[in-house]
Amino acid sequence: MRFNRREIMLTGAASLAAAMAPVGFARAAEPYRIGALNPITGAGSPYGSGTQKTILFAAQEVNDAGGAAGRMFEVFAEDTQTAPEAGVLAAKKLIEVNKVDAIFGTWSSGVTLAIMPLTDAANVILMTNSGAASISTLDTKDLVYRYSTTGIRSGRAISGVIEKEGLTRVATMAFNNASGRDLVAGVKSGWEEKGHSLVAEVVYEPNRPGYRSELQQILAAKPEIIMLGSYLPDTTIIVREARQMGSDVRFIGPGYAIAPKLSESLGAEAVEGLMAVDYVSSLDSSAYAHFSKRYQDEMGSDVGENFYASCAYDMVQCTALAIEAAGPGADNTKIAANLRKVSNPGGKVVSGFAEGKKLLAAGEEINYEGASGPLDFDEHGDVKPLFKLSKLRSGALEYQYMLSL
Amino acid sequence: MGYAYYVGLAINGAVEGLTIGLAALAINLVFAVGRFPNATTGDLMTVGAYAGIAVQQSGLRSLWLQGLAAVGASMALSLALYLFVFRALRGRGMLAPLLASIGLAILVRSVLSFFAGHDQYVFQLPIVRPIMIAGIPVQSYDLWLGGVALVCVLLVMAILFLSPIGRQMRAVADDLTLARTSGINVDRVYLVMWLLVGFVTGVAGMVLGVRTVVMPEMGWNMLLPAFAAAVLGGVGSPAGAVLAAMVVGIAQEMSTPVLGFTYKIGLAFMVLVVILAVRPAGLFGRVERVR
Repeated sequence: MRFNRREIMLTGAASLAAAMAPVGFARAAEPYRIGALNPITGAGSPYGSGTQKTILFAAQEVNDAGGAAGRMFEVFAEDTQTAPEAGVLAAKKLIEVNKVDAIFGTWSSGVTLAIMPLTDAANVILMTNSGAASISTLDTKDLVYRYSTTGIRSGRAISGVIEKEGLTRVATMAFNNASGRDLVAGVKSGWEEKGHSLVAEVVYEPNRPGYRSELQQILAAKPEIIMLGSYLPDTTIIVREARQMGSDVRFIGPGYAIAPKLSESLGAEAVEGLMAVDYVSSLDSSAYAHFSKRYQDEMGSDVGENFYASCAYDMVQCTALAIEAAGPGADNTKIAANLRKVSNPGGKVVSGFAEGKKLLAAGEEINYEGASGPLDFDEHGDVKPLFKLSKLRSGALEYQYMLSL
Repeated sequence: MGYAYYVGLAINGAVEGLTIGLAALAINLVFAVGRFPNATTGDLMTVGAYAGIAVQQSGLRSLWLQGLAAVGASMALSLALYLFVFRALRGRGMLAPLLASIGLAILVRSVLSFFAGHDQYVFQLPIVRPIMIAGIPVQSYDLWLGGVALVCVLLVMAILFLSPIGRQMRAVADDLTLARTSGINVDRVYLVMWLLVGFVTGVAGMVLGVRTVVMPEMGWNMLLPAFAAAVLGGVGSPAGAVLAAMVVGIAQEMSTPVLGFTYKIGLAFMVLVVILAVRPAGLFGRVERVR
């Protein structure tokens, strides 16, 4: 899990030696310090360890290729516990004690929003997978980059699925928090743009002994499909109650709610055909092929559904390329300004740092196409990730098709 | 929307109210006799539900056996909490046992999630369609769970009001010193009271577990509404707690066509404030007489 201590000592010793070398000699550049701030425990724990390990081996690859603009990557690993309080403490430590230049891989919006004032004040680049829309608007220095998308955009993608499936009577139910409401707001705006309107919408309070009154109101409008902005436990209760109330209505929701576990809980029959919309890595890209092999070697297990690990791989690659493009001695503002240059369309397509470094040295423009997606950052520092639709069939999620935003 | 819609809401409210009412009943039992608000009530429920799940995971599909395990586990834990902690804190005022109970609640939950994990469990019951009674769809499980909860409440009432130990319990609740001087075995009364609390929370945990999903926080999440019902019913009044929970449950659900679903919990606490303004001792509580 941890970065090899000896290596850190060595880089430390090397930079110390460099600092003491007489002026006039070529100095080894200051290392670029990265905080791997990931949800090792808590709700994000299925993804956190793989994400952190990925940052470590990706940084090692950059170092093996001679570093970015002469700067070696040094990684400090921390756990957010998927909780804002723990996340802030860890971020404070990374920024003040380890003097990191960038923080990669925060997952829940609560944590990301809580540490943004710190990273912003310290001019630290923050790369995240959180979904809250306000992350984009609160980023005044253009130092925050999101390798996935907002809940609202995910919701719009879901409205596309509903249309494609030929359904017209649509209702929504949302868990009363930012993530649930954002998803549903996205569905609503996407659906209304297509010229339809929702037949019913309900925002519910979580942790209740049941949601039957909520369902009663929704079902009275006779929807063909209910879009859920929910998590697994409340989805379990809602789907069961709907079936108990004699309804065969369909459901669609995020992949963390409509999951095989749901079928384990309720039986395959009750959840047959339920639809899950989820992020998916760029499975056909050469970056993904390389990343997934390295992941397998390092972790001893298949990368599976860990989309966030592929994002973490890309965070390291993009940053390294941007540092390389910015040239020696560049500060974070200049590095961030080069992120779009090395990953947005226009240049020659590359799938890794070493390849891109050579082309940059030859004076060429490049376009990094990542393991997690094509990675074209918009003006907010967000990308358009790839989504897939799956359906529960006999208790397992079955891939259907890719979606576009 | 026809009358069936509102009757449906009322039934939902009554069933939810009954679930919370059981927890409120356990709170008021402890309050009447032990004289402190017991924050472990929710986690006693959780332990019961997990015991039921353990029986299910071992392959026994009988809901009765699972329920028996739930009640047994909650009673055992309740008794242990009394013997090892709350007995030592008797006569130390309200604050010491209250704080201890909050700490114990956290401890119980941590131990539970350490061994059982944070993943959800579900009581695997076949999903049955509703039956129609006078044009109103009714869930047969609701009838069952409602029935079980009602029987549980009646049983506790019978013990409290019809048996000698119940009479002694009420005597201790009324005046501890007087009860002791008139020869009541106070230790025995406490023992029975905590067993009763275990019984009620075990049933409550099982009912909640069957209706929702079993997770380490399930009981803790019910604690605040249960406390509200306990206060509304009249602190220390077991019957009042159940009635208050049902009144709040029904009012809450019936309000949703007007207020929507996010504000219904707010309404429950509004009802609480208004009733306490008119009747400071709650619906069925008595104001302590100054001697």
